[in-house]
Amino acid sequence: MERRTFIELLGAGTLLVPPLACKLRGPIAAGPTNLNGIPTTCELCPNKCSLLAVVKEGRLAKLNPNPENPKSRAMLCARGNAAIQQVYDPDRLKQPLIRAGERGEGKWRPVSWDEAFDFAANKLKAVKEKHGPEGSLWSSTEGFQEVFFKNLGQAFGSPNVMRHPTLCLASMTLAYSTTFGTVPSFDLLNADYVIMAGANRFESIITPDTMDLIGGTMERKAKLIYLDPRFTVTASKADEWHPIKPGTDLAFILAMLNVILTEERHDKAFVETYTLGFEQLLEHVKPYTPAWAEKETEIPAADITRIARAFADAAPRAVFYAGRRSSWYTNDFQMRRAQAILNAVVGNWDREGGMVPNRKVAKGEFTFMPWDDPKASRVDEVEKAFPLANAKDGVYLPLRENVLKGTPYPVKAWMIYKQDPMHALPDQGKTLEMIQQMDFVGVVDIAMSDTAWYADVVFPESHYLERTDPIEVMPGIWPAAVYRQQAVKPLHDTKPMLDIAQGLAKRLGLSDYFDYTIEQWVEAEAKELPVPNGMEHMRKHGVVGFEKPKYGTTRNAVHRFVTKSGKIELFSERLQEAGHDPLPVYTAPAQPPANKFRLILGRKATITHAALTNLPWLHEHNRENDLWIHPEPAARLNIQTGDLLEVSSTAGTVKIKARVTPEIRPDCVFMLHGFGKKSAWLRRVHNVGAADSILLETAWDKVSGNAALHETFVKVGKA
Amino acid sequence: MGTKTKTKRYAMVIDSKKCIDCKACVVACKAENKVPEGVFRNWISVERSGDYPKLRMTFEPEQCHHCDEPSCVRVCPTGASWQREDGIVLVDYDACIGCKYCIIACPYEARYHNPETHTVDKCTFCVHRVDKGDLPACVETCPSKVRVFGDLNDPKSPLHQLLATRRHEVKNPQTGNGPQLYYLL
Repeated sequence: MERRTFIELLGAGTLLVPPLACKLRGPIAAGPTNLNGIPTTCELCPNKCSLLAVVKEGRLAKLNPNPENPKSRAMLCARGNAAIQQVYDPDRLKQPLIRAGERGEGKWRPVSWDEAFDFAANKLKAVKEKHGPEGSLWSSTEGFQEVFFKNLGQAFGSPNVMRHPTLCLASMTLAYSTTFGTVPSFDLLNADYVIMAGANRFESIITPDTMDLIGGTMERKAKLIYLDPRFTVTASKADEWHPIKPGTDLAFILAMLNVILTEERHDKAFVETYTLGFEQLLEHVKPYTPAWAEKETEIPAADITRIARAFADAAPRAVFYAGRRSSWYTNDFQMRRAQAILNAVVGNWDREGGMVPNRKVAKGEFTFMPWDDPKASRVDEVEKAFPLANAKDGVYLPLRENVLKGTPYPVKAWMIYKQDPMHALPDQGKTLEMIQQMDFVGVVDIAMSDTAWYADVVFPESHYLERTDPIEVMPGIWPAAVYRQQAVKPLHDTKPMLDIAQGLAKRLGLSDYFDYTIEQWVEAEAKELPVPNGMEHMRKHGVVGFEKPKYGTTRNAVHRFVTKSGKIELFSERLQEAGHDPLPVYTAPAQPPANKFRLILGRKATITHAALTNLPWLHEHNRENDLWIHPEPAARLNIQTGDLLEVSSTAGTVKIKARVTPEIRPDCVFMLHGFGKKSAWLRRVHNVGAADSILLETAWDKVSGNAALHETFVKVGKA
Repeated sequence: MGTKTKTKRYAMVIDSKKCIDCKACVVACKAENKVPEGVFRNWISVERSGDYPKLRMTFEPEQCHHCDEPSCVRVCPTGASWQREDGIVLVDYDACIGCKYCIIACPYEARYHNPETHTVDKCTFCVHRVDKGDLPACVETCPSKVRVFGDLNDPKSPLHQLLATRRHEVKNPQTGNGPQLYYLL
């Protein structure tokens, strides 16, 4: 009955406003809400916010936040609001297409679904005949129907199902799970002292973290210490912004550990009871003094010492926030490991305002016919090269290298769901080369992405507002299970991923594995939700969520952490055995030569990854990307705002306009993601601005295989 | 504030410090009110200052201030611009001749010429939602709950309580328009 309590808290008919909300230390409510909509779940970014779709005369009129989801904090961001424009986008994919010209030429033949399925199935069969099922690659980004795409690849017999985490948060999840046996959440609603390095939460929206951080810093006056080479919105809201030298976060964290441990400010009882390897850690951090770290980070030693003391004093209501976007450097895993260790020694584990292991909402599973395990091993050789990584997700950049080399075997068919490798992977030139060496490329998407632009067949998926999807569980401090149900009928000749998988499965002789409907799938899931009449509840509410956090469930002597030792591993034998540093060792990163800059990336609240830049309501706020450059080097290079620049790396060259701004370090340049599109069906951003993926060089984190996106130096000059 | 004797006086409190310039309010308004591309009923002003690395950046949401003595209503030659009893300033689109006097008269640059309807347009406080008991779209959708909407004459309203306990200001008070957007300090 937790949910009911939550609704009562929310629905009292009055507004909870500061300073009342902060005293409650509970979710911040929006007040009376128009509940006359179809409850469903947003798909414009990975947050999965609950919303109510208002439909008038069969047309989507408005999307309003659904306050029943404690995770989405009764809000809907700009992107969520703009989803309507995806549905009615005149450039949308409206029917299956088969390439009529050369790849990338933009000549298409609209075809029936039958023809598209036959065409793709024949191509896939031909590749299977010649190269075996392992000759096919199935790449996808997370989504509620991703499961059907993955299942098709697996049923087809391919070991090469390539998921997105190594373009995302794999280094972070691996670092925290190596330490704690699980990946926790951070209780920003109740933390009193937050250190954030690069995780630009006020522009890179994550629910409930972004909202809770505003509540924390603005209403409860929690301290926010922010490290970033760029002056972001988060920097502007922070109590302190330190423009740290890129690639040196690990030095900062090790020096914090040095101060806390040598001054014995750590939580001794916690360390004693729950952790392993404290003595080794103590010895390990001794050389990493604040004075040493000042030289590496360019943050004054006195500041590092002060921050370390304040952090330890505020614990357990103090967190060094993990962040979650793509890794930055080749040592990213070790940097995140150091964060995890720092959090561990101050004893913020499983405490209010600290780091909290995730809870889940239970749901049922639909059982379908299983397939045989693939005979071949993965083409990315993940087990051999990255033994600690999640082998099922794969490692994307090493995979591309192997496919390009044709080792250990050729891969000649590439199926892609809900992903745009042309922009999601660094070094677009290499991705294009990978596409060109394929016998077949098939893309499932809702819009003509740059990857779709180079495909042989494009399957138009129905928009999320036109689909019913499986139930998704979102673990967290405020966990929820959410449901996506159809709000309007498909406007065009599109299909959900399940139907696309079934269409292909039928022609590939795999129908037995897909012998079910979405309704059967969802009903099996809904049966075990922790509410009576789960299915009916989901249709009516769209969400089951727990509003009351539970703290301390793992803080007892019998709790066994899912690590080798059963303890929180400050020192990791598993790492040592795999040939990695068992404690994070700092190596100074290479610095750009005098005439070059480090290219750094970042997010904005109106763009998701490289997508959405073509939607008018969002495009109005991001018409073109530009290159941020500090006034000092700009003066040296005689560059003024608006000048057209030529920017080049060893991977490629782009032309982009300059933005001369003091909001970035003099040794870095920055550009937004999602511009310079090759696809003419993204008309607002077609050949507008430039694509960062053309410039980014191939590099990955040594332990997790995660793409390292801040390792590129670029030359900048007037075009 | 609320000097006139009315049953209701709608107003808005804005806590700019909580604004993260995410544009949720701007896009929600566009969707709710079918605002054409290129014009806006609400927007966020950005102010930057300082030298590296001592930089400052502040955001301020803006829209029609639904003034007590609205100059737009005063200058309108046809009576198209008018004010409800509860303070909400509206445009009667049938009566508007698109002369744009009101656009010039508004001290907050809150009005625009709608290229599709050829009338003047602006924020209505989402009167169609408010009259049903809902919140304006910008208020409801805001991730950081920057805006608080309510009845100034209701001492129990959170808006009233905020104004009673927090320091605040209005923009351009010298115009005598009596603006009803209260910015917390």
